[in-house]
Amino acid sequence: MADKQTELLQGTLDMLILKSLGLGPLHGLGISRRIEQVTRGTFHVKPGSLFPALHRMEEEGWLSSHWGESENNRRAKYYQLTKTGRRQLESETERWGRISLAIARALEAS
Amino acid sequence: MRVFQILRGLFGRERADRDLDAELRAHLDLLTEEKFREGLPPVEARRAACIELGGLEQVKEDVRASRSSAWLDSFGRDVRFGARQLRRNPGFTAVAVATLALGIGATTAIFSVMESQLWTPLPYPDSEQLVDVHVRLVKNPRQWDVLTPNAFLVWRSEARSFTRMTAYNYPQARNLTAGGTSQRIRVMAVASNFFDTLEVPLARGQAFTQKEETYGAERVAIVSDSLWRNQFQSDPELIGKSILLDGEKYAVVGITPPQLRFEHLEEPDAFVPVTLDPAAAVAPRNTYAMGRLAPGISREQARAELALLLKRDPNTQSRLEEDTAAVSNLRETWTEWAARPLYFFAGAVALVLLIACVNTAGLLLARGLARRREFAVRSALGAGRAALARQSLVESLLLALGGGAAGVVLGLWLARSFSAFLPESAIPRHTAILLDWRILLFALAITFFTALLAGALPAIHSSRADLHQGMRQGEGGTLEQKRARASLVAVEVALGLLLLFGAGLFLSSFFYLRSAPRGFEAAGALTYRVALRGEPYAQPDAMRRYFERMAQEVGSLPGVRGVTYGSGLPLTGSESFFANVNVAGRPPAKPHGEAVILHSVAPNYFQELHIQLLAGRVFQPGDGAGAARVAILNANAAKELFGGENPIGKVLEFVSDPERGMAARDPVEIVGITHNAQEYGADEVPFDTVYLPFAQNPVAAAYVLAYSEIPRGTLFGAIRAAAYRLDKDQPVFDVKTMDDLIEDSLHGARINLVLVASLAMLAIALVSVGIFGTVAYFVQGRTREFGIRLALGAGPASIARNTLAQALGMGARGLGLGLLSALILGRLLQSQLYLVPHEHTGMLYGVSIDDPLMLAAAMGLMLAVLLLASYVPARRASRVDPLVALRHE
Repeated sequence: MADKQTELLQGTLDMLILKSLGLGPLHGLGISRRIEQVTRGTFHVKPGSLFPALHRMEEEGWLSSHWGESENNRRAKYYQLTKTGRRQLESETERWGRISLAIARALEAS
Repeated sequence: MRVFQILRGLFGRERADRDLDAELRAHLDLLTEEKFREGLPPVEARRAACIELGGLEQVKEDVRASRSSAWLDSFGRDVRFGARQLRRNPGFTAVAVATLALGIGATTAIFSVMESQLWTPLPYPDSEQLVDVHVRLVKNPRQWDVLTPNAFLVWRSEARSFTRMTAYNYPQARNLTAGGTSQRIRVMAVASNFFDTLEVPLARGQAFTQKEETYGAERVAIVSDSLWRNQFQSDPELIGKSILLDGEKYAVVGITPPQLRFEHLEEPDAFVPVTLDPAAAVAPRNTYAMGRLAPGISREQARAELALLLKRDPNTQSRLEEDTAAVSNLRETWTEWAARPLYFFAGAVALVLLIACVNTAGLLLARGLARRREFAVRSALGAGRAALARQSLVESLLLALGGGAAGVVLGLWLARSFSAFLPESAIPRHTAILLDWRILLFALAITFFTALLAGALPAIHSSRADLHQGMRQGEGGTLEQKRARASLVAVEVALGLLLLFGAGLFLSSFFYLRSAPRGFEAAGALTYRVALRGEPYAQPDAMRRYFERMAQEVGSLPGVRGVTYGSGLPLTGSESFFANVNVAGRPPAKPHGEAVILHSVAPNYFQELHIQLLAGRVFQPGDGAGAARVAILNANAAKELFGGENPIGKVLEFVSDPERGMAARDPVEIVGITHNAQEYGADEVPFDTVYLPFAQNPVAAAYVLAYSEIPRGTLFGAIRAAAYRLDKDQPVFDVKTMDDLIEDSLHGARINLVLVASLAMLAIALVSVGIFGTVAYFVQGRTREFGIRLALGAGPASIARNTLAQALGMGARGLGLGLLSALILGRLLQSQLYLVPHEHTGMLYGVSIDDPLMLAAAMGLMLAVLLLASYVPARRASRVDPLVALRHE
């Protein structure tokens, strides 16, 4: 399984976190599992990368957090998108679209 | 937003940390539950969860590092840690802080002196727009203070580069008679628009009119605020009343505001109109012009316009066609003469600061070695090189900040006592030295510079901590570290040698100045001045009679052995009269004649002052007003005017040059040649002096000199009484002994010597501390080795010799380096330090930069300091107890 995992591109982690929170608030583990799920196991986000990113994005004002109950009645810290965060997601998505298109073209050309 | 986050990061840190902890624990619980549901037994599930999380503390550290306040956080931690370390070593901290305080203090002191003396704008609105303007004689560019009324009047009315242009005279002493007593006050002659040009309006009354600038106009005066308050008791009715200056009535028309300060001139007590009559064509001596540049006009543009006006004007063209205009910043013009010594001392102070930095670097390095194990442990626990280096730098920064704070206080105190120690004539501006933001900013910059300089080497070394070596805590440090310390000592020795050598040059220069032949001898004589003013002395004959009677009166006082008088005495050169002469019957060598100093002297002048006669005769009582005109030359003038020829019997003609303020005089026959007597001091340019009999050439202001055994106070009381009997309106002033005059002439050299010597002593003290510390440290490192040697039978003397040899090895490199830099610096500064012939700008007299004796003496002294500073540690090394030493870790 470890072999199949791909290193996250610089800057993509933020986008994936924002994307995973698009449908609603999640706690840290939830975000991690959602990313694994939507990328079909390609990306596995380690806590050592996830939590610094979450705290940094909260400082940036893209995320807000609150303590809540998990599905199994456990206390957990939930993160959700702020308005700025939503805007950031849009611009990141748009930027990513351009980059991937460009790279795809470059690869096709040769 | 960002700032807010940082602040919240700083102050809410604990809460955030607790929150983070709870969050991660919750995460772990969720993870464990997930594993449990996947079918793992509880213990296994927990273990798998922990593995996946990958170390709780590490994740926390990663999160903390990602916060925007992270750098502040770690900086704060470094500061707290550093402060704790410094507190734990109070001895080390005190020495380092004191060293840096001395360095930073001396630097701050010289900076604040330079700031207040050279760089602060003069105290007028927009004062940097004020410029000095004058005519530069192309043939004699050194004589810069030339101003002819003609040129000035043309400039003032026609130059477009200036919003205003005005003229003023250097304040001169005059007699003010008020309330029944006479006193000397300083009076400045100024043009009508003087206060307008300064943009300082009068407090009361009005300025002079242009009509009052001409000869024969009504006499008017403006009094200063302080004179008005102190002398006239703030009389609100003073305007319109008259005051008596030199016995003449002046109507007061205005009073200056209290904030008017000149700083760069002697503060005047009163102002009178300057006479700028073009018909008179004679500018009073020491008359200067200044202008306020129009907005957007450069000094060069202004100069070009003035030069053009000078060429175009028919009145000036005929005589001064080779002359041109000069325009310079007013502040710089008046403070320039002090700039060179100040820059020189700033350089010397910078050397002291460098020594302080090197010393502190040495101390930090030594402590770094003592703490090698600590650094190794921290490095083993995962501290990066950058973190270790940062920790080192933060410690040196803390030391520098401590030193800087103490240094600012010390520096201001030094700067103030420095200005108090100087006589008024030695400082260009009379300003208070205040702590302002520029000084603070400078001190802060110097502090950071110091921290970086002193901390860089130790930081590099501590970041290179070798784990293996460090844990073993071997002895003496690595070879590289030893080398670093030894080079620091070498650098210190080199810097110390430079300052010692400099001090040696100033010391020998001072003694040369002191022992140079003065050409006269008047030990114990008392001198004073009288400047005759007023109607009774309009005729020269009245002046002659006054001084003849004064000599008789004082000579007949009991206890007085001899009296003489003259328009000038040796060492009073600044009060001299000048004239231009040509030898009669010979084509003039120079178009305007040879410039000479003129002294009108009593017949017994040469005998009383013991000025040696080389040829011919001295003046006799028979050389009176009616007799043939005679003169005596000094040896310089005889050589300059006649070369090898015998001047006795030759006739000198005076060049009459009303344009340059020189009146016509009758030709004189040379009857004698005397030895040169110093006019200013030993370091003067050789002056050509012509002596005339006082009776044939009386002057209003003269010096009287009296020899007596009776105490100075008693004698002077009797003299004052005699002067009162002669004429009660003529005050006696400038009472001094000839020995005072000699000391005064050495004053500048003495100040330089004291300054350089104190800097050198400071440097030596710092260097000895540095050498002592290093050698002691090396000895400490070799304790075990010494123990083994002693145990194997080496004598204590050989151990001490070994240590001293090591110290000498370090010192020898330093001496070589210092010698080289002294020679190079000497070459570069030679022309700045020397007395350049025919210029009064040198700081050294009679010494040579290459003086081998001085170099040897400085090196010998430095060597002695080196040996002395290493003697104590060397002795300690030789007294090591082998048993203790072998157990020494």
